[in-house]
Amino acid sequence: MSADVQLDEVWIRFGDFVAARDINISIRQGEFFSFLGPSGCGKTTLLRAVSGFLQPSQGRVSIGGRDMAGIGPNKRPTALIFQNLALFPLMTVWENITFALEVRGAGRAARRKKAEELLELIALPGQGEKMVSELSGGQRQRVAIARALAAEPSVLLLDEPLSALDLKLRQHMRTELRAIQRRVGITFIYITHDQGEALTMSDHVAVMSHGVIEQVGDGNSIYNRPESAFVASFVGENNLFSGTVAATDDAYVTVDSPAGRLRARHAMRGGKAQLAAGDSAFVFVRPESLKFAAGASSASAEASSTEASSSTGALDNRIGARIHQQEFEGNFWQVFCDVDGVDKRVKLSMVNDGASMGRGPGEEVTLGFNADLAVALPQGELAAE
Amino acid sequence: MTPRFILTAERVRNGFAALFVLGFFAYLFGPLIIMGVTAFNSSAFPRMSPFECFTVEWFDVLANDAKLVEGLRNSLFIGVGVVLLAVPLGLSGALMLTQVKERVRPWYYTIVISPILVPGVVLGISTLLFWDRIGTMFGASRDSIFYDGFFLTIIGQATFISAYTMLVFISRLQRFDVSQEEAALDLGATHVQTFRKILLPFLKPAILSAAVLAFLASFENYNTTVFTIVSESTLTTFLAGKVRHGINPSISALAVIIVVITLLGAALHEVLKRREAAAEKETARIAAGELARRRRVKPFALEPAVLLIALVFVAGLGSAYFAGTIGVEECKAQVKAEKIRQAQERTRQREAKAMFQNAPAASEAAGQQIQSTDKSERAGVSQFQGIFDVGNLKDQAGADDGGDGAAQQSPLGTENFNPIFAPQNLSPPIDSSGDNRNDNRSDGDNRNDNRGGDQ
Amino acid sequence: MFAYWQNFFRKHGAALSVFLLASVGFWIFMMILLPQAFMLDFSLRANVPPPKWGSDAHHYTAEHYRYMLYGSAQSVDSYNFVDLSVFARTIVAAIFVTLIDLALCYPVAYYLAHAATGGWRRLMVLSLIVPFWVNELLRAFAFKIMFGGNGIINNALLWLGVIDQPYDFIRNSVALYSGLSYAYILLMIFPIYNAVESLDRNQIEAARDLGSPWWRIHKRVVIPHAKPGITSGCTMVFMLTAGALAAPQILGGPSSLWFTQIIYQAFNQAGNWARGSAYAIILLVVCILFVLLMMRVFKVKLGEIAR
Repeated sequence: MSADVQLDEVWIRFGDFVAARDINISIRQGEFFSFLGPSGCGKTTLLRAVSGFLQPSQGRVSIGGRDMAGIGPNKRPTALIFQNLALFPLMTVWENITFALEVRGAGRAARRKKAEELLELIALPGQGEKMVSELSGGQRQRVAIARALAAEPSVLLLDEPLSALDLKLRQHMRTELRAIQRRVGITFIYITHDQGEALTMSDHVAVMSHGVIEQVGDGNSIYNRPESAFVASFVGENNLFSGTVAATDDAYVTVDSPAGRLRARHAMRGGKAQLAAGDSAFVFVRPESLKFAAGASSASAEASSTEASSSTGALDNRIGARIHQQEFEGNFWQVFCDVDGVDKRVKLSMVNDGASMGRGPGEEVTLGFNADLAVALPQGELAAE
Repeated sequence: MTPRFILTAERVRNGFAALFVLGFFAYLFGPLIIMGVTAFNSSAFPRMSPFECFTVEWFDVLANDAKLVEGLRNSLFIGVGVVLLAVPLGLSGALMLTQVKERVRPWYYTIVISPILVPGVVLGISTLLFWDRIGTMFGASRDSIFYDGFFLTIIGQATFISAYTMLVFISRLQRFDVSQEEAALDLGATHVQTFRKILLPFLKPAILSAAVLAFLASFENYNTTVFTIVSESTLTTFLAGKVRHGINPSISALAVIIVVITLLGAALHEVLKRREAAAEKETARIAAGELARRRRVKPFALEPAVLLIALVFVAGLGSAYFAGTIGVEECKAQVKAEKIRQAQERTRQREAKAMFQNAPAASEAAGQQIQSTDKSERAGVSQFQGIFDVGNLKDQAGADDGGDGAAQQSPLGTENFNPIFAPQNLSPPIDSSGDNRNDNRSDGDNRNDNRGGDQ
Repeated sequence: MFAYWQNFFRKHGAALSVFLLASVGFWIFMMILLPQAFMLDFSLRANVPPPKWGSDAHHYTAEHYRYMLYGSAQSVDSYNFVDLSVFARTIVAAIFVTLIDLALCYPVAYYLAHAATGGWRRLMVLSLIVPFWVNELLRAFAFKIMFGGNGIINNALLWLGVIDQPYDFIRNSVALYSGLSYAYILLMIFPIYNAVESLDRNQIEAARDLGSPWWRIHKRVVIPHAKPGITSGCTMVFMLTAGALAAPQILGGPSSLWFTQIIYQAFNQAGNWARGSAYAIILLVVCILFVLLMMRVFKVKLGEIAR
């Protein structure tokens, strides 16, 4: 498949402020591609550069192999769905949907026909005569999509279109968006700060921070194989231990931390090793990768039922800890532990297998995890809580 | 201090406040109402009391005043011209404000807003001088556009009226969602299409209210117009001349018409504003992603303001009809007779005092006129007059008796109206009650053309 | 700069850009700036008949400004007392009228904004607009009727026995000052009303709750909040009063001139356009100084005054 949207060495500056820094991205035709990042990271700016509302200060944006320099938003094969939808309040639903045809001079009959087709597609048949103000939030959402699709763009750009909806509707619309994308088969570029949206819908995700792309990959690699401290801390939950690299090879890194000597996977970036002995490093462990380990200082821990299940494989790392609090969430137990020398409480998630936890606050325990399920990364900026 | 005491003090204060506000509104409307009433009084000098006869003749006088009609036509023409110029200028000015650089914006704003703060006479003079000089520069002839009163007045008025309309557009544009424009562009619309299909429809209520505003402001402008109109005349310059050179109730009649038009204009303005506000709320609701429900807008007809205006209309029509059922001419004749009788009375008193031997010719002539009026008709009229003034009725009774005993029978009435019927007051009605009412020269005549004189 | 205009044209398209620039340019230069500049230029030149404009006889001179101060060369007075006293009277009277209007409007605006409710309030606010749109001349005319020798006010006073002779309100300028106060009162009440209305009621309640007497609530809470509105109202009323022409022409007594009438006479009776321009410039400068003074004293921006 050919590259549909390509950004080459794109820089965008507003005065002294750099909103996008040396962006290189290649998005394939028919892909659902997301930009994920906290607000202010430059993702919307990038989207506006693709849609043509602003010109990059430097670098090249090409769509369908064509350089877009000097081409205005009304001449690009893109359609943008705005964060606030920007539906035209003075027009009816069908007039909104066929606006793109109207400005091209299409006849009324042709427009009506197209409107009906699209209303069918977004499951709002027969609602064309309504005013936009008479629709619910989710319906408006779909009208905005239909309006954009009516322009028959080769790339659909979506700027956090679900952020105004309530949680339930948002989850429903995720599925719907994905389904629509499959049906029409065009490229979707999706902007969001919600990792759930990005991970569930996208073929590929680009994680951004401060105008820089931290990592591009599918959901699985972003979550399981983060390549920077920012991605590890921004996507999903992670426990963090900071320390100094004691030894390193291509596969694993040994880090001396206040919690003890920890062994973790060595994360490559662009095929290159990122750590050498003596470097400052972070070790990230997901809560669900942590286990209660045998050999804890407390006898009751050894006797616990969870120990039995996890003791089948030897754990590479062991940390002494003290339970601070535990929360029961039905299918999960969330356990928060104090570890000496670690600022933030370590969190452990355990599937509720029907057995009682058998532990209580204040109890001394040993936590363990396998080196393959932890990752060591150079110290760097972390995502804000 | 007990709470009860505080409450009482507050009530007293609120009572005073309400009275003050009431007084304020009386001050606001009193002059207009008095002027309105004088338009229907047959007295040739505009006044409210004594109310002589209800008449609509002043409206006829007005309609037959060729100068007025001409001035009105010119005012309408200029008003339309100003609307056509000031609305696009104001719109451009407002759009430009959103576009100029941050650094330039305060300067730009100061310049375009300054005409509002510059005295109207200054604007008129500068416009007149500027185009005169431009005309001279191009060697244009004296009857070219640079010396044309209409052109100059439209330009001069539009200078500051554009700032008014700009303010209307600015306040509307502040609530415009720029992403609407971007969405249209993104969907392939050209800039002109976006302007026409998105921005203009959004601005439509503002355009309408700006047009109404511009027209009214132009229509009532005097200070600028008086300098720029050159040898033509508008309603206001005509009016100024008329008011300065002797007043008569036809001006009141004109005022009544203008007040009525103004009321309608105010109502229209209100409708437009309400529509705009409703559209505003709608947009806000959409932006908020609120679930839609058809809102019930209170019918316009139920607004207190509209009710009041309707009431005034009905009352006006009703009284006009009522008046129509009673002979105006008879009433006037009767009032005239009454005045003559009083004049006679005075003459007689003077005669008695000074022991004059020869009765003045005037009283004889008046006596003949009295005889010519029909008594039975007068009785009917007096009923109508009684509605307006009880004192009149008493006088009337005296008049019916005619002859010598009148003075003794109605001393109260005579006393009451003595100052009003004092000789110096009596003379203008008698003199000008006839056909020489339209002798009021337009101010244009003597103001006319210094330009010509200068040449 | 070039990049800015390039961007401007790209953003609006050629047709709209040209229209915007042309219309705004025409307005700013041909209607606002250049006419004022020409008037200033004209006022600094000798008074010659139009055919000689631009010739050598039309040389620069400050004689018209000097005339305002010292009068004509033939005059025996050391100063031009006539024009200067009219000027001073106009300014003082305009300030006086402004203060009257402020005193009248503030309570009413406050009442409308915070005591009246619902439909009544809307009706009252709407009915404020109506007299505003009745022609200035007609409003003055109404006052002439009222204050005339046998007008309703004299009649009422005679009937009440307050006076035994009709009082000449016109000659004593009472009619003029009342008429002027009336003419622009709505430009005082609306800005104040808008400002007071935007005040959160709770602030007043809170102040009252803290035991503040009503006058202190106004002094410390309401007036500071309404300051931009008060400034705006005072500025507009002052400017319009000082620049009024219709009301003084109609209501002014035979012996009391308004400064604008002198300008008018210079143009239309004396045929001295140059002097008229010079006087107009003086009026303009006074108005600009007044606005600057208001902005400085009350620390408001121009945008808050002109609304």
